[in-house]
Amino acid sequence: MLELAFTIFLLANPIGNCPAIVALLKGIPLERQKKIMFRESIISFLIAIIFLFFGEYLLLLIDVQNYALSLCSGVLLFFVAFGMIFPHDVTQGVVSERTQEPFVVPIATPLITGPSSMTIIMIFAKQYPILKVFLAICIAWVGVIPILMSAPYLQKILGKRGLLALEQLMGMLLAMLAVETASSGIKAYIESNWG
Amino acid sequence: MNMISVAIILFLIMDPVGNVSILLQALKPVPPKKHVWVILREMCFVLIAMLFFYFLGDVLLRVLDISETTVRITSGVILFIAAIKILFPKMGNVRDVLRKEEEPFIVPIAIPLVAGPSLLATIMLFAHLDSLNQIIFPAMIIAWFFATLVLLASKYFYRWMGENGLVACEKVMAMILVLLAIQRFLEGIKLFVSNV
Repeated sequence: MLELAFTIFLLANPIGNCPAIVALLKGIPLERQKKIMFRESIISFLIAIIFLFFGEYLLLLIDVQNYALSLCSGVLLFFVAFGMIFPHDVTQGVVSERTQEPFVVPIATPLITGPSSMTIIMIFAKQYPILKVFLAICIAWVGVIPILMSAPYLQKILGKRGLLALEQLMGMLLAMLAVETASSGIKAYIESNWG
Repeated sequence: MNMISVAIILFLIMDPVGNVSILLQALKPVPPKKHVWVILREMCFVLIAMLFFYFLGDVLLRVLDISETTVRITSGVILFIAAIKILFPKMGNVRDVLRKEEEPFIVPIAIPLVAGPSLLATIMLFAHLDSLNQIIFPAMIIAWFFATLVLLASKYFYRWMGENGLVACEKVMAMILVLLAIQRFLEGIKLFVSNV
């Protein structure tokens, strides 16, 4: 279960998201920033839970197999990881210049609970008992929330270079995870057809 | 592939939710009373284009003698590229280029925003599949109908969800499209291997 929680934690990618979040919250008072981060974390948690229960019905409806899901999340993860290792491409789409306070989007949904973590949660929901995944999500969010809430401080402590280095490290981990997920999907595909 | 699956694929490639905000921008020079009429007219062009490529696809691919394996793999790749474009938008895509101060007529709303190259290519490919003969036509109509509904209600969608909410919704849909693309691709590979 800790492994599941760690995977979900990595996908939520709180540390790598800090530069984007810091950029988004620029110009808002520090106390308000912490409140916003708490709210956004709770919203992203709710989205993850909704996907945990709703995802399976969606898969039944569109007639998609388990291995396609694994392969899909592997490919998407790799895209995200690629963007984290070579940052100038990714954040461009996500961090747009807005003066107003961010709500749900972009922090809660594309950044923290992005497409990749939704997919992985649906996969876990198919592979493991729902309760276990639910607990894993809870554990992951116990780690995610404090990091996100300290994001405003992280900028002061680490400086821009430190955050960048951490993001690249997370990107490397995520790339390996992506290949792992994709290969498990391919394996399941081969086994189910020619096993 | 069942009918719902095909209809969902076509609906997702049309990407009506993602097109809501660009549609509203394109409709700005048009007086509000005419909005419904303009949208319906544009969607009729979309339907005509879809039907044209539906019949063309069957004829063309039969002449070229394209196998079912090829159709499945190709449609997988096309769907994948379409979804990646929605998920990771780059600068200078169609939406930014086509902004004019006149009433939209066919371009840009009908073609290429709703009926883009990937939609038409997918319809051509599906039209050629024998196993889809019965279901592709109703699936097309269903997908078109729901896309039209979404675009007609675009003003309300925009008000309820805002620009950000629409983008989030669009990304979730694109994710489903990636799933479907990979499923089609894998089916194609399976067919290919079993034929060998």
